[in-house]
Amino acid sequence: MATKSVKTAQRYAMVIDAKKCINCKACVVACKAENQVPLGVFRNWIDEETSGEYPHLRMSFDPEQCHHCADPSCVRVCPTGASWQREDGIVLVNEDDCIGCKYCIIACPYDARYHNPETHTVGKCTFCSHRVDRGELPACVETCPSKVRVFGDLNDPKSQLHQLLATRRYEVKNPQTGNGPQLYYLL
Amino acid sequence: MERRTFMEIIGAGSLILPPLACGLRRPVAAGPTFLDGIATTCELCPNKCSVLAVVKDGHITKLNPNPDNPKSRGMLCARGNAAVQQVYDPDRLKQPLIRVGARGEGKWRPASWDEAFDYTAKKLSDIKAKHGPEGTLWSSTEGFQEIFFKNLGQAFGSPNVMRHPSLCLASVNLAYSMTYGTVPSFDLLNADYVIMAGANRFESIITPDTMDLIGGTMERKAKLIYLDPRFTVTASKADEWYPIKPGTDMAFILAMMNVIIAENRYDKAFLESETVGFEQLVEHVKPYTPEWAEGETEIPAQDIARIARAFADAAPRAVFYAGRRSSWYQNDFQMRRAQALLNAIVGNWDRQGGMVPNQKIAKGEFLVLPWDDPKAARVDEVEKAFPLASAKDGVYLPLRENLLKGQPYPVKGWMIYKQDPLHALPDQGKTMKMLDQMEFVGVIDIAMSDTAWYADVVFPESHYLERTDPIEVMPGIWPAAVYRQQVVKPIHDTKPCLEIAQGLAKRLGLSDYFDYTIEQWVEAEAKELPIQNGLEHMKQRGVVAVSQPKYGTTRNPVHRFLTKSGKIELFSDRLKEAGHDPLPVYTPPVQPSGGRFRLVLGRKATITHATLTNLPWLHEHNPENDLWIHPEPAAKLNIQSGDLLEVSSSVGQVRIKARVTQEIRPDCVFMLHGFGKKSPWLKRVHNVGAADSVLLETAWDKVSGNAAMHETFVKVVKA
Ligand code: SF4
Ligand code: SF4
Ligand code: SF4
Repeated sequence: MATKSVKTAQRYAMVIDAKKCINCKACVVACKAENQVPLGVFRNWIDEETSGEYPHLRMSFDPEQCHHCADPSCVRVCPTGASWQREDGIVLVNEDDCIGCKYCIIACPYDARYHNPETHTVGKCTFCSHRVDRGELPACVETCPSKVRVFGDLNDPKSQLHQLLATRRYEVKNPQTGNGPQLYYLL
Repeated sequence: MERRTFMEIIGAGSLILPPLACGLRRPVAAGPTFLDGIATTCELCPNKCSVLAVVKDGHITKLNPNPDNPKSRGMLCARGNAAVQQVYDPDRLKQPLIRVGARGEGKWRPASWDEAFDYTAKKLSDIKAKHGPEGTLWSSTEGFQEIFFKNLGQAFGSPNVMRHPSLCLASVNLAYSMTYGTVPSFDLLNADYVIMAGANRFESIITPDTMDLIGGTMERKAKLIYLDPRFTVTASKADEWYPIKPGTDMAFILAMMNVIIAENRYDKAFLESETVGFEQLVEHVKPYTPEWAEGETEIPAQDIARIARAFADAAPRAVFYAGRRSSWYQNDFQMRRAQALLNAIVGNWDRQGGMVPNQKIAKGEFLVLPWDDPKAARVDEVEKAFPLASAKDGVYLPLRENLLKGQPYPVKGWMIYKQDPLHALPDQGKTMKMLDQMEFVGVIDIAMSDTAWYADVVFPESHYLERTDPIEVMPGIWPAAVYRQQVVKPIHDTKPCLEIAQGLAKRLGLSDYFDYTIEQWVEAEAKELPIQNGLEHMKQRGVVAVSQPKYGTTRNPVHRFLTKSGKIELFSDRLKEAGHDPLPVYTPPVQPSGGRFRLVLGRKATITHATLTNLPWLHEHNPENDLWIHPEPAAKLNIQSGDLLEVSSSVGQVRIKARVTQEIRPDCVFMLHGFGKKSPWLKRVHNVGAADSVLLETAWDKVSGNAAMHETFVKVVKA
């Protein structure tokens, strides 16, 4: 687990049980509402994959968003320091400092960032840090009928997230990037 | 061994606490806090999920799920989340409108409420003078304030109060009522073996079934067998998916019973003590072998037999799920009866993981002054033509036929609440004729629906987030009572349905029947809730729930089922007396020929009701509907994805783009509902895609009168 850079008490991460996802888009719409994300761009989305030949078809869904990497390339390339990482691991963009150069969009291996056509700054998933700071769950986590996402503190052994990672097999996406992604997909 | 219950699955050890077990609204792992959301109840579909609305500076910023409601299981779906956009929709109805141009021309004059009430009351009174009160039709869709609208129609003296079930679930409800004397719920959270036919529960959300099925199939590894001509999300999650030949579900069910009975896998003791007519059923299903059913359903005989055995072995934790919208075929009632019998013979009745009679929550009632019964019989002649159906709900399509013929008497005024008949009913052309022959049409809605666009007066209703509504009881295994309270004051010149009914009542001389406020109404209801300070509790938390399911309460020798015999009626004398098959007899459905396709309908999680397609956050995922067609016929017709098609049935023709996909049987086509709107005020879907209702032909189930919407064959050519 890519948790070596964590020095503080908390390290937020997410476990995703993608098999339970029914592609209902509740998480996607809840994120839009919570974060006033403009139409046409998304902080989270569902990757769909269909395969096979009729009638032997398969379909899978993968919820996606910023992986809040332990060593985020987006932060590394940002020329103004607008992209930054909190001590608890949450990666954010400070809109006031963002000049809209889009370096970070290119540098992100997970395609998690978008250019906001209204503000001309870059946006992305914040793990709903404003909610988390109030002690609430991210909007996508809370609203999901399947409870596909489990949000929590990697360093808290009592958290459901910690317990899932201790007892279930999982993978991270594109580990070769060296970014240390913090979205853990259950197998 | 005791099985896990709801409490264990969503309770301890997870992030959601069991309902009412804690003093915190939205407890989370990171450290619980108390959020000052206003508790209310979602109105975007009939599930009535509990919501906590966050308001900043008088503006609703977010709707969050309220975990107190055991039925919504702590979730709020995409539609529920998008409800805020209805409130702040710049195109919503903002004041009463009176038509000035021709119907449908779109020329409106803004009117004061007084003017709109006076105008409407005059029209209704004129019609009453000429044709009697039965000359008016009052139709509506399910909603907490529907009662006020219905009451107005009844107090006015009209027998023609038309509710929505005969466009939806009338056949399934009647089939289970005729068999068990009640409509039960299915305990998907605890079932080990679930068969669903066409009930696309992972896209067409029903609470708590959708979430419980996820818990059941994915956390407990229950088996899910799924029959559907389409490869839906539910099909993708099922252990086995069979693209059954449409209209043949009953053959599959009868063959399952054949195997279970022939191999003595039924619950003998239960059948002996709780049912009547098993001997007749034994004889009845003998010819319906799996080999025979294979020819009908295209599902291999050995699979049918294997599923039948596994189903019986898993019983009582095995269910053949009933489904919700059952407006499919002309034999829909009998098909659902067959399901009800299959469930009965394995003895899953009132068992954990089986089929469970609903619990209710007590609530008080506000007593209104009673009005006289209407003098005329209903124009749909439901008592005569469908004596077993619910006379108070009516039968919509037979009503339309009679109305167009002026039989048995003319109906010239139409009041509509919260419904868009041009999309809700099959055969839009016919509905348009019905509108045309009306001397007056009044619509109460929040947006300019297509029907509103053709109305004479449009009354803007306040949005659910701007209103306080009656308390609603949701029966179920986890019953709840929910409350909808005003979150923000109406931002436009709108009124709740009750005040609209009162405004009209005053001018129609019916004020005595509406002499109360919503607060008085709710107070009377709250008084008898099974909780202290019911009203205060509702205002704080929005929901009262009994968290523990009760199993087996009807499994005792003194229990009488609410049927004629007091038992579960496998063989039904009442059906026989009414001239219907007392046991479900299979007739092969007519299949499309001459290169035509069967048009099948369905929903997805972001698009259910026709009114939702215009919401930006939902529209973004469904910008336009298209016609699903299998690659094989598509190749023959030289059709590629994106091609514009001309699709026609015997009643209408539309243009729609093609989606060539393997996710449908080669003999069917499919399209989503709610597109191809005529109302320019629904600008995202105005003339975008096509309306299924244009193509759908008029047909109904013979016993319940429920619409049969999967009986239309269409021709498809490149435009
Ligand atoms: S809300 Fe949950 S089930 Fe629905 S799309 Fe998102 S992750 Fe999937
Ligand atoms: S996923 Fe992309 S945007 Fe998110 S932290 Fe990693 S590199 Fe940055
Ligand atoms: S299922 Fe969705 S639309 Fe229906 S009541 Fe619940 S949140 Fe609202």
